[in-house]
Amino acid sequence: MSTVAGASAPGAAGPPQPVGAAPRRSSPRSMLWVWLLLGLLALASARVLSGADDIDSPGTLGAALTLAIPIALAGLGGLWSERAGVVNIGLEGMMILGTLGAGYYTFHFGVWAGLLGAMAFGAIGGLLHGTATVVFGVDHIVSGVAINIIAAGAAAFLAEVFFSGLPGGGPTQSPALPNAPSFDVPILSGAASDLATKDWFVVSDAASVVAALTTDMSAFTLLALAAFAGTYWVLWHTPFGLRLRSCGESPTAAETLGVNVYRYKMIAVTASGALAGFAGCYLAVVASSGYANGQTGGRGYIGLAAMIFGNWRPGGLLTGSLLFGYTDAARLRSGGESVHALLLVVAAGLLVFALWQLRRARAAHAIGFAVAGGVVLFWFLAADTIPSDFTQMTPFVATLLVLALFSQRLRMPAADGQRYRRGEAG
Amino acid sequence: MLLRARFVVGLSAAALVLAGCAGGESSGGGSSSDSGGSSEGEASSADVCESADGDGPKIGLAYDVGGRGDQSFNDSAYAGLKQVVTDLDGTCTEAEAQNGEDEAAREERLRQLAEAGHETIVAVGFIYGASVYTVAPDYPEVNFGIIDGAPPEGVDLLPNVANIGFAANQGSFLVGAAAALTTESDTIGFVGGLDIPLIQDFELGYVAGAEEVNPDVEIESQYLSQDDAAAGFENPSGGNTTATGMYDKGADVVFHAAGKSGLGVFDAAVTAGEGNWAIGVDSDQYLTASPEQQPRILTSMLKRVDVGVIEYVTGVADAAEGGEAPNGFVTYDLASDGVGYATSGDFLSQDVLDQLEELKQQIIDGDIKVPSAFE
Repeated sequence: MSTVAGASAPGAAGPPQPVGAAPRRSSPRSMLWVWLLLGLLALASARVLSGADDIDSPGTLGAALTLAIPIALAGLGGLWSERAGVVNIGLEGMMILGTLGAGYYTFHFGVWAGLLGAMAFGAIGGLLHGTATVVFGVDHIVSGVAINIIAAGAAAFLAEVFFSGLPGGGPTQSPALPNAPSFDVPILSGAASDLATKDWFVVSDAASVVAALTTDMSAFTLLALAAFAGTYWVLWHTPFGLRLRSCGESPTAAETLGVNVYRYKMIAVTASGALAGFAGCYLAVVASSGYANGQTGGRGYIGLAAMIFGNWRPGGLLTGSLLFGYTDAARLRSGGESVHALLLVVAAGLLVFALWQLRRARAAHAIGFAVAGGVVLFWFLAADTIPSDFTQMTPFVATLLVLALFSQRLRMPAADGQRYRRGEAG
Repeated sequence: MLLRARFVVGLSAAALVLAGCAGGESSGGGSSSDSGGSSEGEASSADVCESADGDGPKIGLAYDVGGRGDQSFNDSAYAGLKQVVTDLDGTCTEAEAQNGEDEAAREERLRQLAEAGHETIVAVGFIYGASVYTVAPDYPEVNFGIIDGAPPEGVDLLPNVANIGFAANQGSFLVGAAAALTTESDTIGFVGGLDIPLIQDFELGYVAGAEEVNPDVEIESQYLSQDDAAAGFENPSGGNTTATGMYDKGADVVFHAAGKSGLGVFDAAVTAGEGNWAIGVDSDQYLTASPEQQPRILTSMLKRVDVGVIEYVTGVADAAEGGEAPNGFVTYDLASDGVGYATSGDFLSQDVLDQLEELKQQIIDGDIKVPSAFE
């Protein structure tokens, strides 16, 4: 939660420096652990107080991870593109191409070929977006929207060509696909799963986290997490990454220093497409077991939102995706009951925040948060469950709430979305 | 202007790239084009509309997106058409829908069928609701049937349009009973796509059927979405998550009425493993499931689109000799075999089957009244 930490440690997680600002990063990272611990404590308390055992069961946490990864990967694609100054609203379309590529190649050649095929399909979308925006100078939003439309149409058409007549396939869906290899960490997985069912305050909750991470772990999930680590390293710790980010901050300055801005932008947008393709592959192969028309369901856009939420940084983006994935999993698995228990967490958060505001002598803010916290607490006490009309909104409300509470200073790359022409540097 | 010209260039380049890629894929994928070809071959050799030349009724069939080969609705409609054309010694014409087409395209398709002299036109899928009600007044001599149809809001019923429905609650009652008779944990689940009356009808029947045979049974019920059709019916990962949650909480049979999201429910049943079951919907999903999923599919609630087509077309043909053609809301239920349950895989024991047949008879006789979301 490095971005969130910025609120309580002013200046620490401030705007990302164009030049690798290593020395100032220790504070947010230690804060991350504090926040994770606090979150776990809050969940454990809510579980014990409300009796909603499913809010942090290994199953829920595992599902949260599975639902978060496609969003996170799409967001990571957006991050690559926007760090180089190209707004990529076409992520959804590239993700659709990824699901299709995954469906075709996985069925014929196996999961690893499927992953490569999906990334290649996504990369074609990225290349298209790059060609339109970088080479031809098309408005980034127009090109992105066009890609979304083209991809949806092309996928629907090609799915009919690829999958009609195959056993179990049809014009709108692929046959069932083999899943990516997954594994349990020996001993640890079993021990943690046992402990998680013991119902011990905090201990069982921590064991749930361990169990979720060590049981039935998909190779694709690990690969996705590796993509995050890799992105962080490449973009913030290599000369290549510095040049790429300079294209997003000030392309003309980069140009005067001899950086081939067109090339860097093209590389970034193509990588962006490949990552979105990976997101599509994960969705088709791990989260479900085959391609189906329309299965991306707007996750590309949510990935984009998660990226903004995370202040164009991999850590924040992953946090945002996990928050979204978690709330989505909680409401999908146990609906009213889990979301009802989460109200307690929200109420506690609001009240703590009110106290904190009081300490900073902002009486008006404190009263506002205290009242909001009181209302949520009352809702928790007055009702046994949450009507399903509300549970569906949970992921969106949670995201909004966190954004509103932690007034972050979001800063997008300075030249993001702007048209760049070579030789126009003053 | 320059920008716009460049944009057009960009788009056409995009189209070229995609077209190139499409060509490459399909020619590269030998096995897929081979099997596609052979199935088409079979279909055309058995194509009833090519060979039929009787002087009975002329029937037009307008498919929903996907057309023949979707292993579901459209194929079932074709099966019905084939049977009824043979029975009545008639002729027929099929019309395919395009993906993402607009309202005008559907209207045009219906008009062409009507202009070509078809006396009976069956439109497959609720999506034809609006277009049929627009076109039908212009052709009062033609009878239109809409599978799963309903008039658009604020539009009156027409004398030459039948909204063909199926008593999903009755079929769901039987699979609910099957679930409650099979469960070992006395906990079963239901996963719905959208929280709308059409789907609530499945849930009501399922719950009533389960409680009829096993009053102690606990039923976990969950809808994937309130109002977003994509999140409800095209969301296998959501279906998987929800069903896994149910299996984790001890349910061992989960019924879905959630379209493609149901594929995720089957995956969840596979993960849950031996002793856990899923129940399919609409068509006999055992037949289209993967070999991995098949051993987990207890049964499927059948919505007999083929029966709907046969009954409706026959009804119209009978009316030609005097009487009124079916119109308004026409519902095919257990009595007319419009709904039912599948036995593929032979997972239901003889004892269960006997009880289901008994319940079925009681519903037909009116001894059991199945609740419905439309009352």
